[in-house]
This record gives sequence, structure tokens and C-alpha cells, in this order.
Amino acid sequence: MSLAFLVPLFLLGIAGVVVPVLVHLTRRQRRNVVEFPSLMFLEKIPYQEQRRRRVQHWFLLSLRALALALLVLAFSRPFFDRTDLGTGANSGPREVVVLLDRSYSMEIGDQFEQGLDEARRIFSDLGPIDRASLVLFDQGAEVVVRSASDRLRLEAALDTASVGSSTTRFGPALKVAQTIIEESELPRGEVFLLSDFQRIAWTGDEGVNLPPGSTVTPVQLATESPDNLGVTDVQLSRQAASGRERVTPTARIVRRGGEEPIETTLTLELDGQQIQSQPVTVPANGSASVTFQPFTLSQPHTRGSVRLPADGLPADDARHFVLSPGNAMSVFVVEGGGAGRDASLYLRNALEISADGRFDVAFRRSSAIRPEDLDGTNAVVVNDVNIDGASADRLRDFVADGGGVLVVLGETSGWPASAADLLPGTIGPIEDRLQGRGGRLGFLEYGHPVFEAFSGPRSGDFTGARFFRARRLTPTDSATVLARFDDGSVALAELPLGRGSVLVWTSTLDSFWNDLALQPVYLPFVHRVMEYVGGRTEALPWFTSGQVVDLANPDALETAGLVSAEAAGLTDGLEQVAITPGGGSISLPAGEGPRYLPLSERGFYTVRPPGSDPDRPFVLAVNVDMEESDLGRIDPEELVSQVGTTPPGVESGPDFEQGAEFRNEDMEQRQSLWRWLLAAAFALFVAETLISNWISRAGGGQAALAGD
Amino acid sequence: MGLARSGGSGARFLDPAVLARISNLELLARTVVDGFLTGLHRSPHLGFSMDFAEHRPYMPGDDIRRIDWRLFARTDRHYIKLFEAETNANFAVLLDVSKSMAYGSHSVTKLDYARYLSACLAFFSSRQRDRVGMVTFDHDIVEYIPPSMKHMDTILHVLDQTVAGRAGSLKEPLLKITELLGRKGILIVISDFYEDPEEVVAAIGPLRARGHDVMVFHVMDPAELTFPFEDASGFEDLETGEQIPVIPAKLRADYQRLVKNHLETLAKRFKDSRIDYQLLNTSEPLDLALFQYLLARERMSRKR
Repeated sequence: MSLAFLVPLFLLGIAGVVVPVLVHLTRRQRRNVVEFPSLMFLEKIPYQEQRRRRVQHWFLLSLRALALALLVLAFSRPFFDRTDLGTGANSGPREVVVLLDRSYSMEIGDQFEQGLDEARRIFSDLGPIDRASLVLFDQGAEVVVRSASDRLRLEAALDTASVGSSTTRFGPALKVAQTIIEESELPRGEVFLLSDFQRIAWTGDEGVNLPPGSTVTPVQLATESPDNLGVTDVQLSRQAASGRERVTPTARIVRRGGEEPIETTLTLELDGQQIQSQPVTVPANGSASVTFQPFTLSQPHTRGSVRLPADGLPADDARHFVLSPGNAMSVFVVEGGGAGRDASLYLRNALEISADGRFDVAFRRSSAIRPEDLDGTNAVVVNDVNIDGASADRLRDFVADGGGVLVVLGETSGWPASAADLLPGTIGPIEDRLQGRGGRLGFLEYGHPVFEAFSGPRSGDFTGARFFRARRLTPTDSATVLARFDDGSVALAELPLGRGSVLVWTSTLDSFWNDLALQPVYLPFVHRVMEYVGGRTEALPWFTSGQVVDLANPDALETAGLVSAEAAGLTDGLEQVAITPGGGSISLPAGEGPRYLPLSERGFYTVRPPGSDPDRPFVLAVNVDMEESDLGRIDPEELVSQVGTTPPGVESGPDFEQGAEFRNEDMEQRQSLWRWLLAAAFALFVAETLISNWISRAGGGQAALAGD
Repeated sequence: MGLARSGGSGARFLDPAVLARISNLELLARTVVDGFLTGLHRSPHLGFSMDFAEHRPYMPGDDIRRIDWRLFARTDRHYIKLFEAETNANFAVLLDVSKSMAYGSHSVTKLDYARYLSACLAFFSSRQRDRVGMVTFDHDIVEYIPPSMKHMDTILHVLDQTVAGRAGSLKEPLLKITELLGRKGILIVISDFYEDPEEVVAAIGPLRARGHDVMVFHVMDPAELTFPFEDASGFEDLETGEQIPVIPAKLRADYQRLVKNHLETLAKRFKDSRIDYQLLNTSEPLDLALFQYLLARERMSRKR
């Protein structure tokens, strides 16, 4: 260890020490001038040389000189060069990045505590000129401390780290480490990856490419994989009974690990109270389903949880959901005045047959639509009606305000030319398909919400339906064709208009022109079409941790299951506060624009106006991503081999001399000896002033006495 | 016979601090001289003249020519006939007006003091019916007023206008004065004598050698004698402008010793040259100088 200077040129200023000497010698000569008749006698006295050379107050002179010397030393930025004491001194200082996994799988055992201890050990092994960063990661990566040399700060950051509720992804964390090392001026980069190394966290193609000379050191924190049970899903089927809605929860349990079947108990909690429990036997590496007794859903924002006894990984032992009683969708069906009584037989039955009573259907035989028909109506079905112009205009306003219209073409269908822009196409003549077995549906837009439910295998077969007659529809440019017959003609087309949309079905929805109504797919198809036209959005019973909800977006709120009564407060931008499952609070200040609520914890988030305590507040359920409960491991070495690093020496890293220069600056900055030197110099100046004043006063006093 | 100094009311007019308030030099001289003479027990107006003053018994050593034979005839005793002094001698003041004379540590500078003294002595001599003249000099002759019975007013005027402005020396101007003053007379040299004693005497000696009765008044400010300064200061020579840093406390003793040596040497050297020498402190009254002058005059007259 030796004393070195960052700016040694400043040491030339040490010559300034002679200044106090000169001041000392010359100060007294520049006192007041006394005119005297002659210096004849004074010049004869041999005092001159002695007086000018003699220093009277050696102590004061020493103080001044020392203060100046300290000042000069402070400016030359001294430091103790302790390079030889540092670890890895031969290869230069390191930029260490500690990536600590905080996904919820780290809850198993004391993995996270092990990770913290390991990180502390790494920080304590840092050389005096090394720098380190702490990055906590799960699905994303959070840089808690960036490129710091202060160990206390690093360790303090570790003290505040905790396990999250998200899944593991190595990619973002390694990219953050890559950025830190790339931005560092230190010659070596070292990444310590502290994780339980789940296989799902690494796809192998994350685009990570660490700078040359960097190394990745994996630290495996996981012990043996535990026998883990998790509630992976809860299906909530609803039935309307006696005007009330009953919900039957069915939970699916997956077991990873184990060797023998295990018996456990699954409990159902509603609004925090346990109402049912079911025993269940789960085979090793198998799954089981448990259906609870139905419960009546009467209150909005009912919180529910299906829970297993806590095991090694408690995060996936519970599944939370929020339910609100559904609102029936109001459908108004208008039939042509001349239509028969069974003109809408199938359609009526299809809409009324819904198990959960989701449709409230009204029928009227008329060619005209009155304004009161549209009040409170979500969807209008114009079933084979020759509509008049006034009705068409009312429908135009209805659609523009967010309503939906399904126009079913038939024998008597007609549309006023003045409202032709309301339809996705021009209605043409009737086309018969009497040859052979009739026409079939040849193309369905499965990406559209209407047909999305039928996109999976064995989830609905439209090919069995035969179509013998249909109206020709020539679609406009702005229309979207959702279904075509096998000859390419349009079967179902949509035209968005304002906030709503108009769908045209070119054949009947009863069995007059086709036998779709006799097919199994008819009922779900009609339901899906009506739900789509009516704008119904299924409320999500839960969110997954890591998602973000925009509480200013009405659609997002509807998706979140917000009952409309409370919607006003959120959509109007009133101030809200969100209480997290952990008891923390997130302020959502009033104002325009998006108000994002990040859902980072598992459990229930309660959103309410600040200071209020509503009976049934708006609640969001958040569950962990079940992907993380798959504890299958990846070989850490395999991961390291896939992280693109260039071996040291292949490409020259930062110049070592430059690194050494930086190291000196770093050491000087950390030691900051100049502050102490400056303070000491200041103290010496103050002391010198006080002492010289005291001496001056004492001398003056003596002179005064002598004068008396 | 002797003249006693008076402690009477007239003495107060001799205080230089009081005199400094009198702007008219003639008034000042008259006041001083009259006040001074009033305090004397005997009139100093004694000497050889046509005006009879008194008789006194003959004493061995008296000039027998001064015996009043008529009175001897009447009384058969030897009496000496004394007359009012009427010397009709030449009297000149040689006044040093070099810059160093401008120094004064109190209300009266050395030049002021010298002017008062010059005025008084000239006035005094004028009353004695001497021919009064004056020479002011620094390193050269500044003003020359030849001795005359009528020059008293001129002398007072010149004295009034005199300022000390230049560096001074004794040798050159006094040599010139020696040549100017042809007729023997009484010469009063007033200076601060900041020169080597040998040089001083060498400068004044020729005057004496020419037969003048020379009387030297050495005017010194009290600060020059005691060096009472306290603060370390730069001391500037009034004549040369040279400065040197001085810590008075450290030098005082040496200075006083050197001044004392200087004064003693001067006194000794003047005595050796038979020149009357008197040191005058400007803080002290003028009567010492006047008294000294009268003694000298008396002595001179006796010699005659």
C-alpha cells in the first residue's frame, strides 16, 4: 500500500509554503509610515538584517505552512494505492452482476435465503476496486443497485429483497447484465446467476450475448424437487335457478412429483369464509378434478378461493376468483308482419333455452321499429322483415350508440335504399341451391369472436348444415365477411358502425331455407352471435400476476368483472386507491388518461375511493402463473453454454491501462482523502487566525501597559 | 553679577505652546522680550554707551580707563562708571531651514521654535541698538538680510514667510556666510545639526575664526531625544525620503545612546572651539535660550 496522487502536478503548489514566510517577513514592513527628521542614528543601529530575518512566532508560521501544504495535498487528490491488496489484481477490476431469482418458486424451502446469503458472500468477496450490481428478476428484471462499489449499499439492498409472485425468465435478467457489463469501463465482467434453474425459464434463444471476457457463474439454489400439488384451474359453471344464479366450481389439481397417490382436502372459500371442503386423491405426477356443490351467487364482487393445504410451494396451492351475478342481455326480435307464428320458433327457443338466463328476449311482429322498442335493448334481430326507412334510421342511431343488429334475410326481407350504408353489402336476389344436397358453409372466420369458440377440434361442426336458399349479398369494401358458402357467396358479413356493428345472415335462422337449426351447433352459434352483437364481454374471474389493468378503460373494467354501478367512479376518473393483497396501497389519482394498476401479488386487489369502505368493493383476483409450478430443472452448465460469451483474449476488452487509470480514480474517489485534508487545512487556518489574533491582542495590551 | 531667571507672570509668554498662538512675530518678540526682561532683577541693558547708568566700586581687573576720575577726586575712591549698553554691534541669526527642521511631535515644530527664538533675539538685539541681520539656509543660502539698524521688520517678515522645504547641509552655506559677513559681530546659529559633529564644527569653525562671536542653538524635538514611538513602522527620512522598517521598542535604547553621544560630542567640540553651545528642547520655554544669550552677551561685553 503506497500513497499516490491523482493529480501530482498540483504538488508544485507546495512552493506556496514560502508565502507565509514572506508574509511573516514583509508584513511588518508595510505598516504605517512615520516621518522623522533624519535616519542618521537609526541607520547606524545594526538591527535591520536581524529583524527582517527573524521569525517571531514559529508556531504561527508552522500552522500557516502546514495549512497550505494540506491544501496543496488536497488538490493533488491523494489516495492509498491498494491495488496489491485487491483480489484478482493481475487481471484487473471486475464488474460483478448478481442476478437473484425472486420468482415464487424460490419460496420452496429456504432457497431465497440461500440466494441472499450467496449474494452477500459474493459482495463480501469484492475487491476494493471491483464494482457490483444487484438485479432481482422473475418475469422481468429490476436493477436494484447498479454498478456500485459501496458494499453497505449492496447489502442493504439485499435486506429489502423479497420473493414475488411471478414466473422465472432468465432472458431479461441476462440482457440487463449484458447491458451493465457493456456500459462498464472495468476490464472484466462477471455474472452470478442465483436461481433454482427451472426449465421453463429458458427457451435457449433469448438473444443474450455477453461482452468478451465476461463469465457467467450459475449458483444452483434448489435442493431436490418437492412433491408439489397445485390448483391449476377452477371452472365456474353458472345455472339460473328460480331467478337466481348458482355457480358450480370445479377445481383441477395437478401433482408434480411423488411416487404414491396422496390424499388431500380441497376447500372452497367465499368472501373469506370456508364453505365447503372435498377430499381428493391425487396420483403421483397426475391430476384430479373436484366439483363442489353449487352455491348461490347473489352479491356482486364475491371473492372465492379454492385452496389446498400448504405444501413446499404455497403460491400455487390456492386459486382465487371473483364473481358477480350476471345481467341478462336484452334482445329484441322483430318479425315481419306477415310471417307465420313459427317464423322465429327455433330462434326463440334457442335464446330462451340458455341455462343461466342470459338472454331477455322480446318479440314483435311488425315491419316498423318504434323508438321504445330500442330502449334498454342490447341487440336487435331483424328476422326476415322488409324494414321501412324510419326504422332503418332508428337502427342507425341505435348501432352508432353501441347497439348491435343482426339482419336475417328471408323471403320478405327488404331494406330501404336510403339506409343501404347500414348494411355490410347490397342485398340481391334469392339464390336457390337445390342441386344435390344443397350448399354448405365452406369458410368460417375462426379468428372472429363469433366463431372463435368453434375453432378447436370437436367444438362445433358447421359442415353438417345444408343450405338450400340464400339471398345474394354483395359486400361493400368496409364489410368483413365472416362466413361463406362453399360456392364463395357470403353467408355472414359484418359492418362496424359507430360503437356497434351490423351483421347480415343471408339465409334464415329457422328451418325454412336450411337445416342449420337442426344441427347441434345451432344453439351455441346463435348464442355466440347474439352475445357478440349485444356486446357482452365475459368477465374474467381472475388475472395472472404480472398483468396490468387500465382502470380508466371501460372495456377493461368490464372484462375485470366490474359491476356497472361502481363503474362511474372509475371511468369518470375519480380518485381511487387499490389495496394490494399484501396490505399495501396503490394510489390512483384522479385525472384523465390511463390509470394502470400493476397486478404483481397473488390474492385480491380491492379498488375503492380513498377513505370509503363500501360493502362490496370492486375486487380483482390475481393468481400466479401455473407455469412456474413446473419445477423441472435445467442443467445450469447447459444454460451457461447457451449464453453467448466470447472467451477472454479472443477480442480485446477494455484497455487495461485505461482500466488502471480508472481504478486510480475509483480508489481516490472512494477514499476521498482530499475532504479530510481540506477540512484539516480549514481548521488550521481557523486556529492560526484565532491564535494570531490572541497574540496580537496580548502584544497590544503589553504595549499599552508599557506606554502607561 | 548674575541674571536670575524669573518665575513671574512674564515667563508664561515664553511657553512655545502659547507663543504658537501669536501670529504676529513682532508682537511675539516684543511680548517675550519685555516679559522676560520684566522678570529680571537687573536690567540687562548694560554696556558701553554714552548714556550713564551707574557707578560701581573698582574691582581689580577692571579697565582703569573706565574709572571715573571726577568722582575719585570728590570721594577719593575708585568707581567705575557704567553706561547703558550701546554696542552697536553686528548681530545676525543664521537659521537652518532644511526640511528636517519642519519636524514636530507636538504643536511646535523645530522651525517654529527657531523662528520664535530668532525673532526674540533679533528684537532683543535691536533694542540694544545692534545692527540686526539674518541668513536662512539649507544646503545653500535661502535668504540673506545684511545686518542693519533698519532690518528688523524685514527679518520678521522673512521669518514669517520661511518654510522648510529642502535638504540641508552646513558646510557650503556657512562658508558663503563667512564670506558675506565681513564685519565681526555676534552670530547666532540655529540648527538641528544632523551631521557628523566634526563636520558641524568644521562648518562653523571658520565663522569663529573670522572673529565672530558665535553662539549655537541646537534645536531638538523631544521625540528626537527620547524616541517614544511604540508601533513598528516605516521611518521616513524627511530630507531624503528614505524609509527603513523600525521596531522602536527594540531600538530605543540604542537610539538614545547614539543621540546622547552625538550631543555630548557636539558640546565638547564646540567648547573646544570656544563656541557657545546650547541644546534647546522645543517643548521647553524660550527663556533658557534667552537667558543663555544674555549671559553670553554679558560675558562678551565684559571681555570688551
